[in-house]
Amino acid sequence: MSSEQDHLKETDTEKRFEFKKEESAAVTSGKGLTEEVVRMISDDKDEPEWMLERRLRSLKQYHEMPLPTDWPGQPDLTELDIEEIVPYIRPDVDKRSGADDWDDLPEDIQDTFEQLGIPEAERKALSGVGAQYESEVVYQNMQEQWEEKGVVFCNMDEAVREHPELVKEYFMTKCVPPSDNKFAALHGAVWSGGSFVYVPEDVTVEMPVQAYFRMNSEGMGQFEHTLIIAEEGSEVHYIEGCSAPKYGSHNLHSGGVEVFVGEDAHVQYSTVQNWSKNTYNLNTKRAICEKGGTMEWVSGSMGSKATMLYPSTILKGRGATDNHITIAFAGEGQDIDTGAKVYHNAPNTKSTIESKSIAKDGGRTNYRGLVHIADGAEGSSTSVECDALMFDNESTSDTMPYMEIQESKVDVAHEATVGKIGDEDVFYLQSRGLDDDDAKQMIVAGFIEPITEELPIEYAVELNRLIELEMEGSLG
Amino acid sequence: MATLELNNLHAEVAEEGVDEQILDGVDLEVKSGEIHALMGPNGSGKSTTAKVIAGHPAYEVTEGEVLLHLEDGDFGGAFEIPEDKRTWDLLDLEPNERAALGVFLGFQYPAEIEGVTMTNFLRTALNAKLEEREELFEDEDEHEEEEEEAGYDTSPMEGPADEGEVGVAEFQQILSEKMEQLDMDEKFAQRYLNAGFSGGEKKQNEVLQAAILEPEVAVLDEIDSGLDIDRLQDVSKGINALRDEQGTGILQITHYQRILDYVEPDHVHVMLDGKVAKSGGAELAEKLEDNGYDWVREEFYETA
Amino acid sequence: MSTQVHAALDEGTVREISESLGEPEWLLETRLEALDALDDLAMPSVIRTPGREWTNLHDLDFEGFVDPLNAAENKDQVGPDEAEVLPFAEAVDEHEELLKEHFGSVVDPQDNYLTALSTALFSTGTVVYVPEGVDAEDVKIRTEMNSQSLFNYTLVVTEKSASVTILERQSTGEDVDGERYYSGIVEVAAGENSNVQYGSLQNVDEETYNYTLKRGHADTYATIDWIEGNIGSRLTKSSVETYLKGDSSESQIVGAFFGHGDQHFDVNARVWHEAEHTTADLVTRGALDDEARSVYEGVQDVGSDAWDTNSYQRENTLMLSDESEADASPKLIINNHDTEASHSATVGQVSDEDLFYMETRGTDPESAENMLVEGFFVPVLEEVAVDELRDDLTDLVAARLRE
Ligand SMILES: Nc1ncnc2c1ncn2[C@@H]1O[C@H](COP(=O)(O)OP(=O)(O)O)[C@@H](O)[C@H]1O
Ligand SMILES: [Mg+2]
Repeated sequence: MSSEQDHLKETDTEKRFEFKKEESAAVTSGKGLTEEVVRMISDDKDEPEWMLERRLRSLKQYHEMPLPTDWPGQPDLTELDIEEIVPYIRPDVDKRSGADDWDDLPEDIQDTFEQLGIPEAERKALSGVGAQYESEVVYQNMQEQWEEKGVVFCNMDEAVREHPELVKEYFMTKCVPPSDNKFAALHGAVWSGGSFVYVPEDVTVEMPVQAYFRMNSEGMGQFEHTLIIAEEGSEVHYIEGCSAPKYGSHNLHSGGVEVFVGEDAHVQYSTVQNWSKNTYNLNTKRAICEKGGTMEWVSGSMGSKATMLYPSTILKGRGATDNHITIAFAGEGQDIDTGAKVYHNAPNTKSTIESKSIAKDGGRTNYRGLVHIADGAEGSSTSVECDALMFDNESTSDTMPYMEIQESKVDVAHEATVGKIGDEDVFYLQSRGLDDDDAKQMIVAGFIEPITEELPIEYAVELNRLIELEMEGSLG
Repeated sequence: MATLELNNLHAEVAEEGVDEQILDGVDLEVKSGEIHALMGPNGSGKSTTAKVIAGHPAYEVTEGEVLLHLEDGDFGGAFEIPEDKRTWDLLDLEPNERAALGVFLGFQYPAEIEGVTMTNFLRTALNAKLEEREELFEDEDEHEEEEEEAGYDTSPMEGPADEGEVGVAEFQQILSEKMEQLDMDEKFAQRYLNAGFSGGEKKQNEVLQAAILEPEVAVLDEIDSGLDIDRLQDVSKGINALRDEQGTGILQITHYQRILDYVEPDHVHVMLDGKVAKSGGAELAEKLEDNGYDWVREEFYETA
Repeated sequence: MSTQVHAALDEGTVREISESLGEPEWLLETRLEALDALDDLAMPSVIRTPGREWTNLHDLDFEGFVDPLNAAENKDQVGPDEAEVLPFAEAVDEHEELLKEHFGSVVDPQDNYLTALSTALFSTGTVVYVPEGVDAEDVKIRTEMNSQSLFNYTLVVTEKSASVTILERQSTGEDVDGERYYSGIVEVAAGENSNVQYGSLQNVDEETYNYTLKRGHADTYATIDWIEGNIGSRLTKSSVETYLKGDSSESQIVGAFFGHGDQHFDVNARVWHEAEHTTADLVTRGALDDEARSVYEGVQDVGSDAWDTNSYQRENTLMLSDESEADASPKLIINNHDTEASHSATVGQVSDEDLFYMETRGTDPESAENMLVEGFFVPVLEEVAVDELRDDLTDLVAARLRE
């Protein structure tokens, strides 16, 4: 066995996510959501006036809007007290808007990302990396060759300063306005950090760019904003990883993601989310896809106490394509309510949604999805496939698709199945020498294989190992 | 030299409320290197016998025993089998523990498992078998909780944490050799376990698995049904190789004389109503082929 | 919906209806309580997605076109001698105990605003009682509505090992000016090992709003099979539901609809698995022409005690026109892992390939399309075990195609 493999033997995915660091911040907003807090955030970031105005407008909308409570089977949000959440914590780093050398970071932060394996990943397989700690991006780097081609990959705060025209035009205007839902409004008021990606015409960014989001402090909220603009004929794969250690009180993650897929452009957005099980994960992610463009959402939802996440794509131009791939794994105390939304607003648009969910030890998964085919979107087709696996009688597995078809020349198919792990299958594997747990694990890995095969190999491996840990019930 | 011994085996359906006795006192003994054919009409209990040997949870054994006797050297020269661990009561063991001891079941209807490639599955099974075997033969006194590895991962971009005893490259080697022996297309290695396989491909795959897991005793349930003549010959070759090269004892359940032309049995048994009604040599199979089972039934119930 | 109660919707009206049917005090009380509750009750649930409500019940002024004291109908209630098929007033007379036991036990009168309205105001109804072991085929209930509004009530009770086939039809007779409202509530209590087939064919005129709720409770080994055909009405909100309460009980819900003009069908098929070894099969097919719109909600709810459940659902919609709209939401709610459940839904149009194929064989385009649409309905029609109903549905589909 090679030394490389020896090193691999020492891995411990569980410990990697669970460690906590002393909280040490330069600036903290304090709890709650007031105009004062919002002004303070904007001020601390030295933002231009127009951004402050947008924040204040969002805050107003936030206060006016009701919490969603009337969705059938919606996760319980009653324990979430937003007034108790600390929306803004700037860690104590020297250089604002992200160092480009890991060694320039304070030791505790450097150590955090080291444990999460980010620098290693950067060396091996990524075009660029951003790393956010609490509310601030602390590391940001991209290979020079991409910079030379005009690709921008920077943190969102920096983009406000450096690319005001683009940000003004695209930031929470046409894609996810604050009025979209209460959490989008909240996000608009207190957002901080996140990534800005700009890919010029006909540039293909060959290796993925990755952003990693880490919440370390108890009771905080993370509200990073990601804006991706892929110009005509360009191609980029953005990967997002998330984690936090578990605390007694609740954390809130309410990210906002806006993706603009230009004509014939191709964007893939992959997330492996492993928030701790005291985190409410309530995101708004949306893409607008022009003629001939392709948007792909790949989401693995493993962590969090409650997740409400429905990445949506608006197929705006003729012949645009959307692919959704979703894996949800709900263990004890988790309610993972996730799915997809696709609006077919132009002819010959195509969407496929594949969802696989696993419910175990009293967890609940729900596929909630909407496919809307507008009048005039002739020649469009959509296919939705949801499969759910249940481990025990304490768990719940729901499927709630909605289809709105206003055009007749279409092809619409939806299929869903729910079942338990097959006893005969387990026995077959056991008779070949696998013990009961390994047999079940192998069946689960096979169950989600159609999805993991779409992921870059490293992330597929990571996802499988998270699932293994979930199945042993050992993740906090 | 290993021996699988069934004594007065009685079994019924385990499900509550179903009161169905299926095995009614089965006696059988299969030794390494022997080939036994188990024949009998549909519903006589052949598959149930096979599944009970392997530990299928659908059946409850109400009487009798299933023993496995091992001798030193059975798992290859290097593996030491202590005196006090040479006879195993299989009924006390989980299916995977039985597999680790060298009992293999070739299924009449193999499961189809999506998403799991043959290669991944077989390598996992092979390593699991080796590991389980260590555990089964480990001296209890010496047994200590393995210490959890300290430290943490440094990268999400890495391979599986534990490669196991047989590494990927070594396994590939074993697999392609065995596949070639069985005249199987290499592409099978990357396909999902039995998913979308034809009936014949599944059966061939069962024999391939036996060849890789190298059992002491293999119970093959209707391995010959649904095979065309070419594949029947490949499969037969595989079974003979198991016996000749690895000394595996074979209990071959079949309906037809046909496969017995290629895999010549040392013993033939006829099962009727959950019992072995008659045993004999290879000539018995021919007689059954010509005359059916009625005469066995008459003979058996007359003497009974 | 205005919350103010229409002049005719008062206690006096309810008392008058109850008295005319010779009802006992407890039944009158139930009606009055339902009337009282109206202000607090919500409309039956309809699906909402961001920015859209699939069926708008709020803008309908039910109270405005309801005229309960002038209810007029033509009714046939016939059945074989072994079973009792009684008009409601007669049932009140002869079977008060039976009514007391079952009335409102399957459908809570205060389930929603419209059930309460129906309970307070129903002036006609049928009670079908099938004694133990009796096999009653050919029960027919035909209701022809001749007034502005009609509130109809049906109760079916089968004793142990009884069996009954019921065929119900709603239509409208004489023309009445303006909009009309038909409301029907059906309760089925299927006793142990009994078998109920309940077929219903709704073909009221296209000025009529139609609300029906049909719900059954299936005891151990009981089977309830529903067939629900919707052809007429301006707007239909119909729900067909089975609670599988006894071990090994079964239910099938077969639905067919064909909308044209600006018809709106909101059809729901729902099943609750509450016991062990239960099976459900929900099959719905519908076609939409012109500006017609369909809303389908199917629910398979498997409770945590429902071990060994099998539950299937299929829904297919065929769009014959560009202006039509088909919305669908087939839901699975699974709380027991010992379940095999699946659903599928499709929306599409008549295949051009198929049309072309038929035309190359000499069929004119219109007949070709008609044949294909008729063919589309065959899988559900085949599930219809009542010959007469199947024939009628087939004819109605054919007639609508050739209008
Ligand atoms: N899980 C089971 N539940 C109920 N009956 C079973 C089950 N397994 C086997 N049986 C019954 O036991 C009898 C023997 O079956 P089997 O062992 O498959 O026969 P064979 O392989 O000899 O054809 C048959 O009557 C079969 O129906
Ligand atoms: Mg058999």
